[in-house]
Amino acid sequence: MSQTKQSDGGYQTRVRTKVTRLFLWNGAWGVATALMAFGPKFLWDHSLAFTLLAVGLDVAVGVGMLRANKIYLAQLDELQRKVQFNSMGITLGVGLIAGVPISVMDAYHFIPFHADIGYLLILMSVTFAACNLYGTWRYR
Amino acid sequence: MKNRLKVLRAERDWTQADLANALDVSRQTINAIETGKFDPSLPLAFRTARLFALRIEEIFQDE
Repeated sequence: MSQTKQSDGGYQTRVRTKVTRLFLWNGAWGVATALMAFGPKFLWDHSLAFTLLAVGLDVAVGVGMLRANKIYLAQLDELQRKVQFNSMGITLGVGLIAGVPISVMDAYHFIPFHADIGYLLILMSVTFAACNLYGTWRYR
Repeated sequence: MKNRLKVLRAERDWTQADLANALDVSRQTINAIETGKFDPSLPLAFRTARLFALRIEEIFQDE
């Protein structure tokens, strides 16, 4: 069978490399976002210059994370990509379906808590992870 | 879509991982194609046909 191989462990190795890179970019974005969120209060006493710098850094790292995700998706085979795209589509839908009504209810004080963006991020993260797990299980 | 991938692979004594490596896809994809859960794209079908030195319709049949 060795004569039919294109490269030793080619696909898995390539995907693993891209996953690692994506993981690092995600971590960096998390750190940049935390810096932007908590820096003004705990690190630089609401200095406008530092806050703008932190926002710029967060956006720049976010763009890097998006690029790493795009490269990761391009590296996947067609089934893995289908699973990822399905998960993204459902996550976007759930985000819209849940986000807009909660935002409206918050605006009219129908809910006893503030509709923080963090809740939406958690809901979208959980939805994406669940869809990915289901896709992996379905085609296992 | 039906296919003879499992038979062709067994004739050559290849594992799913061997075939996945040869076609540069994941083992999960080979399994999904063999079990009929996923239909391959035209480029992947052509690569498969080339690998087995067969025509596409000798491997994949419309149901």
